[in-house]
Amino acid sequence: MKRRMPSSIKRFIMTLLFLVVPVALVVTGCGQGSGAFKDDGKLHVTATIGMISDVAKEIGGDRVEVIGLMGPGVDPHLYKASQGDIAKLEDAKVILYGGLHLEGKMTEIFEKMSKKKSVVPVTKNIPESSLLTTGDGTFDPHVWFDVKLWMSATETIRDTLIENDPAHEAEYRERTDAYLAKLEELDRYAREQIATIPEQGRVMVTAHDAFGYFGNAYAIEVVGLQGISTAAEYGSKDVTALRDMLVERGIKAVFVESSVPKKSIEAVIEGAKKLGHEVKIGGELFSDAMGESGTEEGTYIGMVRHNVDTIVGALK
Amino acid sequence: MAANKSVIAPLTVTNMTVAYQKKPVVRNVSFEVTEGELIGIIGPNGAGKSTLIKAILGLQPSLSGETLVYGKPYKTQRKLVGYVPQRESVDWDFPTNALDVVMMGRYGQLGLFRRPGAKEKAIGMECLAKVGMADFAGRQISQLSGGQQQRVFLARALAQDATLYFMDEPFAGVDAATEKAIIQLLNELKRQGKTVLVVHHDLATVEQYFDSVMLLNGELVAYGPTASTFTEEMLQKAYGGRLTFLKSHASAEDEPVLIAGRG
Amino acid sequence: MLNLITDPNLQWILLGSMLLGISTGVVGTFAYLRKQSLIGDTLAHAALPGICIAFMLTEVKSVGLFMIGAIVAGMIATVGISWITRYSRIKQDAAMGIVLSVFFGLGIVLLTQIQHSSYGNQSGLDKFLFGQAASMTAKDVYTMTSVAVVLIVVCALLFKEFKLISFDPGYARGLGFSVATLEQLLLWLVTIAVVVGIQAVGVVLVAALLITPAVSARYWTDRLGVMTVLSGLFGALSGAIGTWVSAGTAQLPTGPLSVLTATAVFVASVLFGPQRGVIAKLVRRRTAKRDWAAENAKQTGTGVGASAKERGVSA
Repeated sequence: MKRRMPSSIKRFIMTLLFLVVPVALVVTGCGQGSGAFKDDGKLHVTATIGMISDVAKEIGGDRVEVIGLMGPGVDPHLYKASQGDIAKLEDAKVILYGGLHLEGKMTEIFEKMSKKKSVVPVTKNIPESSLLTTGDGTFDPHVWFDVKLWMSATETIRDTLIENDPAHEAEYRERTDAYLAKLEELDRYAREQIATIPEQGRVMVTAHDAFGYFGNAYAIEVVGLQGISTAAEYGSKDVTALRDMLVERGIKAVFVESSVPKKSIEAVIEGAKKLGHEVKIGGELFSDAMGESGTEEGTYIGMVRHNVDTIVGALK
Repeated sequence: MAANKSVIAPLTVTNMTVAYQKKPVVRNVSFEVTEGELIGIIGPNGAGKSTLIKAILGLQPSLSGETLVYGKPYKTQRKLVGYVPQRESVDWDFPTNALDVVMMGRYGQLGLFRRPGAKEKAIGMECLAKVGMADFAGRQISQLSGGQQQRVFLARALAQDATLYFMDEPFAGVDAATEKAIIQLLNELKRQGKTVLVVHHDLATVEQYFDSVMLLNGELVAYGPTASTFTEEMLQKAYGGRLTFLKSHASAEDEPVLIAGRG
Repeated sequence: MLNLITDPNLQWILLGSMLLGISTGVVGTFAYLRKQSLIGDTLAHAALPGICIAFMLTEVKSVGLFMIGAIVAGMIATVGISWITRYSRIKQDAAMGIVLSVFFGLGIVLLTQIQHSSYGNQSGLDKFLFGQAASMTAKDVYTMTSVAVVLIVVCALLFKEFKLISFDPGYARGLGFSVATLEQLLLWLVTIAVVVGIQAVGVVLVAALLITPAVSARYWTDRLGVMTVLSGLFGALSGAIGTWVSAGTAQLPTGPLSVLTATAVFVASVLFGPQRGVIAKLVRRRTAKRDWAAENAKQTGTGVGASAKERGVSA
């Protein structure tokens, strides 16, 4: 049976709907500014992940204005560009991205943009022999965890900046050399630190298979819970298998990352506890994104250092 | 029997008006019912008979109107009122059997939370027996014929043990045997002192079945004892001249026999 | 598969999945009978804005908070659906579609906002929508237990009321029951079951957990009480088998396997249900034909001609 609403109320609501909805649409539509960069003679660069934008800022200095699309905690594998992002890409002269299918959902956009400007995957100069492959034949894109490989990316970024702004070539070269020196030191630091972990316990367990290069470069075994990209599913067998491995090998800590939920790791830890083996969360690691901007971990060097210190601190 | 004015009427309706999309279907209907009677509500199609009942029972919103059951507002007296609607629109595939449906009539008395028990089951079986459906107690309702389903809903209303009943075309589409059973049932209710209002379509049986009649055609045309109200004049007024009467000259009676009409 | 009982993680997953199956099975019975089968899908989608808002308000990625946000959003959605069907000519299915789209659209907008803002750390939000039965812990089992207990107790206490409003709401009103309140309560119970279910099987599949066991149960009984219990049992069974199978092989997500099991149970029910099953019907028809032919043969066999034909008509 229908109860009839008084027609005056009905009319009020209809009016409200017809006014509010269009207004809301217009307001949110106007929210994004047009013209993403400040027009001030600098080279406009739009980068995807923070690791790239940080390096670009370091070696570009005052000559460039860099906008990063993906902030802390953002997952580049699943990231979809918004209208605002398209504007930022359009307005840039140079677009820098990771490549190797890291930004899986933005391939079309890069293709479109490459017709009008420099769209450069910073990994392009890394020899294939240095790349790791994943289970299904594609390349593992998380190269930034091998600092030596990221040095190659730095050089690629430098060359791209020079190509688009030849006037300041000397400056770019100078800043890059300084930065590469810092990266050399970082690479050494990582190797030394990791080596201080007793060999038997030199295993890092994370919820995400993003540390392949790290493990390779710095001689630490890496075991992951899920597949290489965060979209992979796992089942109860994967949980029990991992837990059993931890218990068997007496591993003391597992690590979570900023972009993946803790729940998967928590189940493993609780199960191990029930079996009498204490595993703790060794700390949060950065994988696909860096820390808050303005902090130490918000820079590439700071982030890698943080990861190394956290791992060493928990496993030693 | 003369209505005793000091006895409170089982049903008093005042100024009931119901409209579908601004068009009034029932206009300013007022009447008072005497206890212990079978009352027939008759009128042409679209006269608003079902609508009137639904409005009285609060199942249909009304523009105006007040309903008193034994002097008190209907909403407070629900327990005293039973309703058997027209062809029920329920899901016939619902997992329930005839007895189960009849026991639903007791839910009002049970109130919230209490489960139906042996007592309710007994009452249910009794009511099924009264409508001649005792053998079908365990039968899934989807396996019942139309007439049997109607009888089950009748039994459900009986199970409510109400004192005032509304029935909407209970005789529609039932066979002669079922019709006989139903009218026997109604008479027994009357014997128990209950009051039943029945929307009825078959003009030929009105005089036989009902003590009082209400003639309705949007407005109340007439209400009163059958003998004085169910007359040719009143009927013509209600049906607007769509009836044909057979005047039997050879018969000693004055009463014309109604042979055709679209009710 | 002794493992299932001794292994701590498997224990939790098993219990959690079974309890979830019972919850969704029991309330799903009523949803199915009230022709609200897709309510599970609607509520699951409607949960998204609730989760986003909970995150935006607290900036904490906590499953408990997400669930509260999801439940609140779901409850608002059910009120919206009731409202639309009550005050307009729009029927249930369209009302559910409307609410689903509006809420989910809002949720996507909020999700994108979060993605682009400095909250960061938000991928847990859409993970919540995908569900992950394999990461159940003791805490989840407690949650599932409380939910199952509450649902079962309320459905048991209000069994006859729920039966009545599902069968004949008009009559229920006549008897004086507050049908609107009871309907809303039922929808809220469904909301709770759905939100808890999202964690295990995700948004898209939770609707299946709600409907499939109930539909399967219908093939085995004509009594509502039995149907409800059976539906809960089928739900539990699906959870158990889903856990068992995924415990044996790697990379097989537990939640979806439970749903597949429920579907298998459904297929079995359609085939083997005693009265309504396909095979039962075929057998009945064939037996009836056979009996009819035999009786016919018997009659004509005695060679009494016309009168035999008359007698043969007493089917």
